Amino acid sequence: MGLKSVWTKVYETLASVRTGIFLIIVVGLFSALGTVVLQRPTSEPEDMQRAYSPETLALLDRFGLTDIFHAWWFLLLLCLICVCLIVVSVDRWPNAWKVYAKPVRFAKTAFRLSLPQKVEIAVTDEAGALSVAEHVLDRFGFKVDRVTEDGASGLFAERQRFSVFALYLVHMSLLFIFAGYIIDGVVGYRGNINVAEGQALGQITLRDNRGGETKKMLPFLIRCDGAGEDTYADGSPKKWWSKLALIENGKEVASKTIVVNDPFVYKGIRIYQASMGQSGTPRTITFSATPAKAGVPEEVEVPLNGKALLSDGESLSVLRWIPDFYIQDNEIYKKSDDPENPAVQLGLTNAKGETKKLWILYSQMNSTKGQDAPYEFAIKSATWAKYTGLEVSHQPGQFGVWIGVVLMAFGLVIAFYTQHMRVWVAIAEDDKGGKLLWVGGTTNKNRDRFQTKFEQIKAALLEELGGAGVKSEQENDKTLTKA
Amino acid sequence: MSDARVERQQPANGAVLLVLVGLGIAFALLVALLAVAKTHSGPIYSEANMLYTALVLYTGAATLYMGYGVTGIERYVSGASLLTALGFLANTAAVAHRWSVAGRPPFSNMYEMLLSFVWTLALLTLIAERAYKVKIIGSITMPITVVSVILMQLLPSDVRPLVPALQSTWLQVHVTLAMLSYAACAVSFALAMMFLIQDNMKTESFQALTSAGMVAIYAAILVTRFRSGALGVTAYDLEAKSEVMVSRGHPLFIQIPELGWLYLLVLLSALVPLALFVAGKVKKDIAFFDLASKAMFVSILLQAVGLAIFVARVKNGQYGAPNADGLFTTALPANPFLLSGMVGGIVAGLLYLLLLWRREGLQRMMPPADVLDRVTYKIICIAFPLLTLMIAAGAYWANQAWGSYWSWDPKETWAAITWLVYAGYLHMRITRGWRGRRAAWFAILGFMVVIFTFFGVTYLLPGLHAYAAG
Repeated sequence: MGLKSVWTKVYETLASVRTGIFLIIVVGLFSALGTVVLQRPTSEPEDMQRAYSPETLALLDRFGLTDIFHAWWFLLLLCLICVCLIVVSVDRWPNAWKVYAKPVRFAKTAFRLSLPQKVEIAVTDEAGALSVAEHVLDRFGFKVDRVTEDGASGLFAERQRFSVFALYLVHMSLLFIFAGYIIDGVVGYRGNINVAEGQALGQITLRDNRGGETKKMLPFLIRCDGAGEDTYADGSPKKWWSKLALIENGKEVASKTIVVNDPFVYKGIRIYQASMGQSGTPRTITFSATPAKAGVPEEVEVPLNGKALLSDGESLSVLRWIPDFYIQDNEIYKKSDDPENPAVQLGLTNAKGETKKLWILYSQMNSTKGQDAPYEFAIKSATWAKYTGLEVSHQPGQFGVWIGVVLMAFGLVIAFYTQHMRVWVAIAEDDKGGKLLWVGGTTNKNRDRFQTKFEQIKAALLEELGGAGVKSEQENDKTLTKA
Repeated sequence: MSDARVERQQPANGAVLLVLVGLGIAFALLVALLAVAKTHSGPIYSEANMLYTALVLYTGAATLYMGYGVTGIERYVSGASLLTALGFLANTAAVAHRWSVAGRPPFSNMYEMLLSFVWTLALLTLIAERAYKVKIIGSITMPITVVSVILMQLLPSDVRPLVPALQSTWLQVHVTLAMLSYAACAVSFALAMMFLIQDNMKTESFQALTSAGMVAIYAAILVTRFRSGALGVTAYDLEAKSEVMVSRGHPLFIQIPELGWLYLLVLLSALVPLALFVAGKVKKDIAFFDLASKAMFVSILLQAVGLAIFVARVKNGQYGAPNADGLFTTALPANPFLLSGMVGGIVAGLLYLLLLWRREGLQRMMPPADVLDRVTYKIICIAFPLLTLMIAAGAYWANQAWGSYWSWDPKETWAAITWLVYAGYLHMRITRGWRGRRAAWFAILGFMVVIFTFFGVTYLLPGLHAYAAG
């Protein structure tokens, strides 16, 4: 077999509806399998180990059956469908273009025989009959042209010619959708970030399909200027909101209050309200202050980034906050973000502007006792800043998807609810040399609707021509019952 | 006209069986109704009362339509259609009331979806009858409305505020399109079935099809819920009006003892007619088919008994769970999968009996085969664009709510598979000229996938792994 014939074979295979249907079935079956076998991206590893024996799981993993929708061969199948769509469109294009651009405008005798719908009406005045037919067809919504060939004249009428392109529109729309999906798979990303009130962060955590995590820096920082939950009277959540500002190169470039279902879009990056919670960062800390010598103990609430005045005029501020500390080589380090065991460095500033630094190491002693100061401080309580859980995604391909969806909607409406109807009119002669007005027509789909229309046209013609002898040939009667 | 006269004089075949089955079903429904009868307090024009009025009227209409289906007496239809119209008015009032109270279209929970579904179904029935003169359709649709309204009596009906994720216009669009497209798929299924009847498919083949459907239903129930003789149902806190959850997304399953064995028996009873059909085919002996019909009748009766016992035991009693201490209550609304499966099996069985006894009359009432074939295709031409837009609206909503328009979760995947099946149907029909029986089977397959997407994905797929995970 020569190279050319191999190529022809491949081309023919890809262009056949049979191949398309086969691919649809295969994709359908594997998709169904992907909903029956637990999938790694959506299941907990423990659940998978409980559901399958180690050998089965290893086998499933080996064949990619635990992550079908991201497997290379599944994507290959989707790409094959794309290739089929392209080849089919190329293959069928010349025919559709011929119908669209170079239609048969004059019905010759041989052509007339091939039409499913036709009628002959005896007439005396040829030119008059043609004008009547022109008028009638125009009334039925057809675009009518007068045509002549070899001195004989006739009519060519059609409506909704664009209908022949419906197939291409639908198939192209699928290509747009697949292309968008593939672009997103290659360059898109999706991750999450928790930002506490007052914080500005720019690093998101991406999850891969195997449950692993990677970090990624956004081209800007997200600052949370407030977050909250509104509830209904019965306590169920009504609204989660976050007031966000974006900082690029040290400057605030945009801000918006987002809620669920209303994301923040900036330079193709979308920020969603996903969750909400209490952070390990306090908004204010309340200390008890007991004078070292004589005096009345008092309580003072200090904002994290501010200061509060004591009754004798000295001011207290929080210099450092470590939610969970440990000490190594005489240095204080952060162990975690959970405020389990905080270390706080306080600054006590007197009227002369001198600041004394004091430490509270919670697990050792919740007090500044023994550190030379006019007060002994201890942590009483704290109010916590809220954090907002944000989902961040970048899917530049989604515009392809939405364009595809709109195209498909148009394509399907055209495919199912419009049809290309064509009617030809010519002058013929019967056996005895009498003149006949010959009318015939065809359509590309929905034949019974066309048949009804044709009958109406016939009735209208008979009425206006007062036709004496009608010879109607409807070969289609049989085919119609099949249709 | 002379046909109709002959029809009227014809005695109904198997009248005794019909009466027996009718009594069995009536009993089961009565138990269900009594068990759920609520005391309707408040103003006389309250939503509950309007719905109750609709229920009474729809029940009357369903009875008359089914009477027409069985006897072929034309004058039942005018009464039935009047009752349907009146019930539809009451139903409209209920929908309007809810819409005005909630301040949004009624689609947000199961109760509201059924309210809208019943309204749509009644409207379609009236349209089909008035505009297309398809009178027989009411004997299928109106019983479905009655069952739906009864189910609604079981569901929590208070107007609940929407949680943030559901506050989206796109979600409303998505749900509306889903209901419309699935309704169109259901109609195409009914038409394809009618085509098979008009295309003279043998009655025993329908019998095999029906019992296969029943076997599938009870096998699905047992595979996911049977455990050492007991039947697992979802625990439901009657005071909080919510399911009892073990952890997020995992409801607590409690076990009703012995009910599992009963359902195993029901499964066997549904298998018998199927086995007899196969035996008849293999041995080419018609006697087996008669036996199969009798076995079918027994199975339907057993299913009705099973439903009645299920309802009674769910309503009264507390049951334990293997993985939790103490006893828990349950309720019918917590088990829509079991309930709709059982009711669906019984309705399918009744429709088969209707065919068995009244086939000639039915065939005379139905449009001819070629019309049914064409209309099935046209309905799918409506269903397919709706299906496409439904998936698109869902994807757009997902993209607005959590930043991903397609994440291959089972519901999405099966929606895509449904779309592929109908796309396959359209290709075969348009380019390869599939007509008649092959196309009808394809349309039936499409609706099976719709059903699986609607129920199976929610209740069957997690069930598979829930038990594997133990």
